[in-house]
Amino acid sequence: MQTQSARRGRVDPHLSMRDYDPEADLMLLHFGPQHPSTHGVFRMDLHLDGEVVVKATPYLGYLHRAVEKLCERLTYVQQTPVVDKNDYVAPMTNEQALNMAFEKLLNVEVPRRARWVRTLFAELQRIASHLLWLGTFALDLGGALGGGSTLFIHTFRERELILDLFEEVTGARFHYNTHTLGGNRHDLPAGFDVKVKAALAEIEARLDGYETMTLHNSIFVARTRGVGVLDGELALELGITGPILRASGVDHDLRRDAPYGAYDELKVRVAVEQGGDCYARAKVRVAEMRDSIRLVREAIEGVPEGPLCGFKPIRLVGQVKATAGQVYVAIETPRGELGTFVIASPDNPTAPHRLKIRSPSLHALSAIPYIVPGATVSDAVAILGSLDPIMGEVDR
Amino acid sequence: MAVTDPPERRALPVLAGAPAFDAPLYRTLLSAPGLSVLAGALDELLAWGSRNALWVFPMATSCCGIELMAAAASRVDLDRMGTIVRATPRQADVMVVAGTITVKMAPRVKALWEQMPEPRWCIAMGSCAISGDFYRNLYSVIPGIDTVIPVDVYVPGCPPNPEALMHGLLRLQEKIKATRAGTFAAPELNPALLTTTRPSIARVVDADRDPTQSDQQTASADHATASDKTDARPEGSPEPAAYEAVAPDASPARDFADLVRDEFGVTDIPAGMAPLVETAKHVALARRLRALGYKQLVYVVVSHYAAKTGARAAPERFELACAVRTVGEGSRVAAWRLALEPGEAVPTLVGVYAGADWQEREQYDLTGVRFAGHPDLRRIMMPEDWVGHPLRKDYAADTACPPWR
Repeated sequence: MQTQSARRGRVDPHLSMRDYDPEADLMLLHFGPQHPSTHGVFRMDLHLDGEVVVKATPYLGYLHRAVEKLCERLTYVQQTPVVDKNDYVAPMTNEQALNMAFEKLLNVEVPRRARWVRTLFAELQRIASHLLWLGTFALDLGGALGGGSTLFIHTFRERELILDLFEEVTGARFHYNTHTLGGNRHDLPAGFDVKVKAALAEIEARLDGYETMTLHNSIFVARTRGVGVLDGELALELGITGPILRASGVDHDLRRDAPYGAYDELKVRVAVEQGGDCYARAKVRVAEMRDSIRLVREAIEGVPEGPLCGFKPIRLVGQVKATAGQVYVAIETPRGELGTFVIASPDNPTAPHRLKIRSPSLHALSAIPYIVPGATVSDAVAILGSLDPIMGEVDR
Repeated sequence: MAVTDPPERRALPVLAGAPAFDAPLYRTLLSAPGLSVLAGALDELLAWGSRNALWVFPMATSCCGIELMAAAASRVDLDRMGTIVRATPRQADVMVVAGTITVKMAPRVKALWEQMPEPRWCIAMGSCAISGDFYRNLYSVIPGIDTVIPVDVYVPGCPPNPEALMHGLLRLQEKIKATRAGTFAAPELNPALLTTTRPSIARVVDADRDPTQSDQQTASADHATASDKTDARPEGSPEPAAYEAVAPDASPARDFADLVRDEFGVTDIPAGMAPLVETAKHVALARRLRALGYKQLVYVVVSHYAAKTGARAAPERFELACAVRTVGEGSRVAAWRLALEPGEAVPTLVGVYAGADWQEREQYDLTGVRFAGHPDLRRIMMPEDWVGHPLRKDYAADTACPPWR
């Protein structure tokens, strides 16, 4: 059966089924778009030889909410709550990426305090996001981990601690709408640092248990090691970023390599693994949670005094204007490089002429045709879970 | 609450409306002394059971789905109400529609709803499922799930807290109880609720909307499911471009602006913008940059400029922006632009960066710019037979898509 082309021995995603062995008795399995393990509404068609996937074809667009079209119709200050909904597991970082792009376009200075508070929120969000990932990944692996939902129940308990902190600051469990042009909207309440440290202590203590339940669990290792191996070169070419890229042995993290926010002062320890498989991706994310706990501790100690917003109060939504320019700003979200590309034009100075959100999950999913063939159906679920896609930002 | 059902239905609500029980034999049987009381008691038991074991089918598409998960998880714990989440519609009583439903998803939601055994209920969770929220006037989003399937309880919020969802389930239990007892008053029959349950959100319609666009959309009746075709790579599309390994260039790092000036004939780089490169040199520049260590494709974006008349008259045009990145310490981004005429095809980058595949498909889908040599140029976001390219400036954002929106 011809499943590989001359492209460096890789699986060729563009081979049609008519290029495969016509004698083979293949079964077609529609996987998704409605299935709990698709992490939203993602669909892939799996051509199966027995239980082994021969070809996987992803289909997107089931949550295409026309965010980019909507953003062309809203003014610069109205867009923060819209992009919140893109990556709904880490809304803080969405807001940050968008507002940083607008700040660069409009030459708005962000005060040091706001940069630190943003970094603090981003790192807390990374822990919450990875906790959700760990819980749902355990669900994906199913019965291997104490009925599957055990770890899910545990990690959601800790995730609630972080959501409580955010709720105290912004009034919302998610979709915070707290970033704005030139800074942040909500200041840290009194005694916030004590609550953050208490939550971190609890999470850190429980993290050891999770590590025992997953990374040191022979069943978990058997289900993930050697499954869905993605080599670093291919990952780079596909534009894959974040933990998936680092698990493939590429030492790249925008927080360190192109610092923004307070990362010029806070040093990130980048976790890199060589395996490129689901196990390496899990290991990287657990290490990132630990590093984020350290960073949050440092950030909460180091938040400087001063103004929280460097932009004059906005009275009319149309008062912020840009007539020319093209900017691209990227930040490292829990899923990788989330970029905002904006073009301003004189035709409509209060809104972007074109806004494109470069989402890490879209690129992560583009690895599926390469790494799923050869795996079994249950491994395909594990691979999809290890890519941690959020369909809101894939389809936008 | 007003009693709306006639009293004779209250005696045997479970039998009401079921044609089989209208048969004369049953009528005779039930007229036997005591039997109707027994049937009524059994019905009470059934009603108690059905409202205290509401198994949820999570139609979770987006953000609200995360709160639905949080509601099922440890803090709120829906299990204690007898509500557990089932992954298949055939085992579920309640469909919780949690998230935005798009025109591509709506037919699937309807199919799943039809697979649920009766009696079945639906909870619209969050403002997207209720009304479409701020996406309601956009081409791809349906304005509320109640345009597709009947909804019993609306849980407002963006997203609603897990506690709000729990409250919604309690209200559903009340509703089930009242319906079985024959005391349920639908909101439209309850005069006290008339003013509160009929929000009148004015529909924002583009003044310059082209009515023929919607007509074309209607003409493709099967649009939403046509993309169910498998292995849909179009017949006759170009063979996959041969992948060319690019040998790394060991020469010292050069400034990107100098590189495009010296080697790619760019004379003027406007401030704040990326250099404008000739379309013919697009692939060569990408290959050169890849050799120089720009290993990662960051984005491919096409923007559309509509034709303008009057003082600042300008023809219609497209512009493609593209960027690549070096990895590791001191990561740099190199970005360039191409100016495109309407209908002009851009040479594909798939042979240089495999990641260009989906990026270019997305831009083709949303703006209609074709990529020459792309092995699989299909729509990626919109259904396969969608009419028009949404991110063009002349595409009305609220284009209708009957029957879904």
